[in-house]
Amino acid sequence: MKMKWKNPIGSGLRSYKPGKAAVLVLGTVLLLTACGKAGGSSPDADASKPANAVQGSSQTKKPAANNETVEALYEQAKQEGKLIVYSTSGRANDAAETFMKQYPEIKVEVSKVKSDEMMDKVTKEQDAGQFNPDVIITKEVSGAVEEEMVKPGRYIKYLPEDLAPMVDEPYRTQAEGYANYLEFRTVFYNTEHYKTAPITNWWDLTTPEYKGKVYTADPLSSPAFMDLFTTMVVNSEDMAAAYKEKFGKDIELHGTENAGYEFIQQLFANGLVVLKGSDDVLDAIGKADSDAIGLAVSGDVSKVEEKGWSILPIYDIKPKTSVPDSGYLFLANKAPHEAAGKLFIRWMMGGKDGQGEGMNPFNEVGSWVPRSDVKTKNEISFEQLNLWNYDGEALYFASPKVRDFWIKQK
Amino acid sequence: MLHRPALHAWQTRWLNRCRNALRNPLYLIGAAALLFLAYTIVWPVLHMIYTTLVWRTQDARLTAAADPGHLTFYHWQRVLASDISWSLFYKPVVNALSVGLSVSAVSMILGCGLAWLVTRTDIPFKKTITFLAIIPYLLPSWMLSQAWLTFFKNSKIGGTPGILQSLLHVAPPDWISYGYVPIVMTLSIHDSVYFFLLVGAALSSMNSQLEEAAEMVGAGRLQVLRRIVFPLVLPSVLSGFILIFTKAVSSYGVPALLGTPVNFYMISTMLYSSMRSRLTTEANVLSLTLMLISIGAIYLNQRLIGRRRSYVTVSGKGSSVTYTTLGRWKLPAAAATVIGMVIVAVVPLLVLLLQTFLLKDGSFNAANLTLHYWLGGSDPSINTGEKGVLQNPIFLLALKNSLMIAGIASVIAAVMGLLFGYVVARGKNTAMGRLVDQLSFFPYFIPGISLAAIYITMFAKPVLFIPALYGTITIIILITVVKELPFTVKAGGASLMQIGNELEEAAVLGGASWFTRFRRLLLPLSRKSLLSAFILVFIGAMKEMELIIMLVTPRTETLTTLTFYYVEKGYEQLTNVVLMIIIAIVVTVYLLAVKFGKADLTKGIGGQ
Repeated sequence: MKMKWKNPIGSGLRSYKPGKAAVLVLGTVLLLTACGKAGGSSPDADASKPANAVQGSSQTKKPAANNETVEALYEQAKQEGKLIVYSTSGRANDAAETFMKQYPEIKVEVSKVKSDEMMDKVTKEQDAGQFNPDVIITKEVSGAVEEEMVKPGRYIKYLPEDLAPMVDEPYRTQAEGYANYLEFRTVFYNTEHYKTAPITNWWDLTTPEYKGKVYTADPLSSPAFMDLFTTMVVNSEDMAAAYKEKFGKDIELHGTENAGYEFIQQLFANGLVVLKGSDDVLDAIGKADSDAIGLAVSGDVSKVEEKGWSILPIYDIKPKTSVPDSGYLFLANKAPHEAAGKLFIRWMMGGKDGQGEGMNPFNEVGSWVPRSDVKTKNEISFEQLNLWNYDGEALYFASPKVRDFWIKQK
Repeated sequence: MLHRPALHAWQTRWLNRCRNALRNPLYLIGAAALLFLAYTIVWPVLHMIYTTLVWRTQDARLTAAADPGHLTFYHWQRVLASDISWSLFYKPVVNALSVGLSVSAVSMILGCGLAWLVTRTDIPFKKTITFLAIIPYLLPSWMLSQAWLTFFKNSKIGGTPGILQSLLHVAPPDWISYGYVPIVMTLSIHDSVYFFLLVGAALSSMNSQLEEAAEMVGAGRLQVLRRIVFPLVLPSVLSGFILIFTKAVSSYGVPALLGTPVNFYMISTMLYSSMRSRLTTEANVLSLTLMLISIGAIYLNQRLIGRRRSYVTVSGKGSSVTYTTLGRWKLPAAAATVIGMVIVAVVPLLVLLLQTFLLKDGSFNAANLTLHYWLGGSDPSINTGEKGVLQNPIFLLALKNSLMIAGIASVIAAVMGLLFGYVVARGKNTAMGRLVDQLSFFPYFIPGISLAAIYITMFAKPVLFIPALYGTITIIILITVVKELPFTVKAGGASLMQIGNELEEAAVLGGASWFTRFRRLLLPLSRKSLLSAFILVFIGAMKEMELIIMLVTPRTETLTTLTFYYVEKGYEQLTNVVLMIIIAIVVTVYLLAVKFGKADLTKGIGGQ
């Protein structure tokens, strides 16, 4: 009996060869993990160790300490040796290049990620105890950056106290953070066809003159475009007033909730053409003589020469031209190279007088630097721009509904 | 003690079965495969399902009823049965299904036709045709749609009119310019290479004695095709069909460019929108519905193959290939094929290459030619001082990383595909085989971004024996391998189904261990399919962007993530330079693989 009991096990041991098959499969799996250990351990260790070290040595935890000087930060930053930036904008790379010339002991590594993906990335990293980035350069995503990242303390507002007095509102005290530049969505026209701006009021877009001649980048794939429409819904009284100013009568709602929604509905009824992105819109109206107009990003004027567009943006539309799309600068939570990060933010801000080289990539035509002492390259100043306030909290809660409304128009 | 004998008989039987199972490598590989799939695919999918069933804090944006942490069907109801379901879900689903089916059908005709010409006829220029067939897949699919617009654009989306309109002074109708038709055409041209390679591998390993026998008993050429050839390649054709179907259904770039002007949305474009608007749960529901659709499709596929015998074409007997003669059609057929392929593949490629030498895009004169975008230093008047690609300090690192990721991932993926395919093919009537087949198919439906996001959580900290992979090249290799499993497993399975059991049985009798059998028998016999898998995964990995962008850290930057910066800045020439470099690498690797892999699609199966 016992013999029989042992037999299967015995032969199981003897028939050892098939095990190689499994070894092969598992081996492949292990190979992957082994690669991880051997090849990739250094960046991994680099990223996590200083994080603990900084936390352990209980450095200046307050983002904006009073007696912070560039010299002191530089001394500390030299110890840290490098810094990691997550950025939605390529402008970070340009600033990093000049920064490394100024501070050769500090190496800047820039990761380019879209703003919504960055939120996921940083959230997952931090939840797993990995604190990788030091500086965050990001756009808003319908208020989600403020609600999901800034309020829970994942992104930390940092505005050096000595620079704060020069910063324009809302970025000094009211906004979720300091933005080093801002751009916005507005209406563009073809300069060969029109001598002056063809429209002055958002409601012009709903008139027969522009039937089938209004282009926009798809707000369904670009939250920043949706934010403009959501802002119109949130500020529907403004839209209603502009309607009255344009047509001389009170607005009549056709089954919609307010003047903001009504505007979207009438825009569709007037044959709005939706294209993939901002560049496609400017291609559509700017490549050849065209009487069409389109919604695109103000910052795109800097590409005019390269792309061969004949276009100009309109900077004065009623009731308000647009809503700002700000490029915020944050420190990341538990930044492993905090001093270097702060130094880099100061660099991008252009330093004490706003004249520093680090500012250059941000001070471009089509974007504005919200600092009173920085001269803009645009014809009108930031203070003169007639923009709605970016109300992150309101947009956060209103945008899904506006998006639904938009989808239903299809 | 008295009960012992009775128990014993039962136990012996059970133990015998266990022993057989342990002896059979199929179960061991199967178990390892399932373990791998469970961790890398099932777990993320379960995680996705879970998120669709609970309220999250963020859901307060959608409804005041949100109760964070509690169970709810709200998300499913919102997508499937609310007042926006028609626009958000049903219409895009119908669009996606029709695009998916049409693309599969069109690429089947293109791919199979080409494969037949190359493998079974005496058409000249076989190597050239095979090589040309790969090129459309090398180009990013949005480029083909861009090319379509250049020809067929009408005034609806403004800008410079399409070539057709300039020549004929008649605007093509919207349905030719945008939406369903162009989406199907560009995706078919781009993806038909899958059919070409899968069916080509099957056809070339088919013994032409079968056809000759049929002809001898008086079957006409069409009858041979229908009764002999078609059933034999059916598993490959069905695999190809399902692959292309799911690829088309989940494609994003092409429908976004060609569909939006006429409000033609597919599930994939809606899904991308949900993602970008931070409605992650909605995106998860949408991808899960895509998965359900695919499971349905795979089920049908298995019913179709399962009901038939699987046809073994590679047996122990000798085989030879005789080519069908095309007679007087030989030259016209060759000319038409080559010219057609040059138009869809080579012309766009050359235009792109030329563009990288143009200082100012669009002006074709000698003074405008420059090497600046390749080699130039910083010149403030061009691209605000951006240096040429080869001068970019990150370029070398990115090149090294890209080569490493694509090289290692494609080898692992191809071998793994064959192993998993072994389980699928040999165990096609077992639950295990079916499970491996189905599970390995999911990655096509998990949006790259979602998968990457889940992987960060899973691999940021060491778990059991798996070290913290996040921040390393390894995790990018891993996710590439996983994402390509649908294709590699299908290819491996389809190829192994053709290899007769008798070969393995003979080897067993000769005392060969499974490992020897695999190395000396299965590996060489499926060399061609292995090579196809390697090439396609390599290309895919070199082009991959969405999937890895979240997992990339500054040190693991790749060539594609480098273009991300150029694209955003609007530096078209620089973007194209990187693209040309990627294409050059892929072409080199392809030629090397064909030369040293000794597997040539145009000839009989390697080694025979």
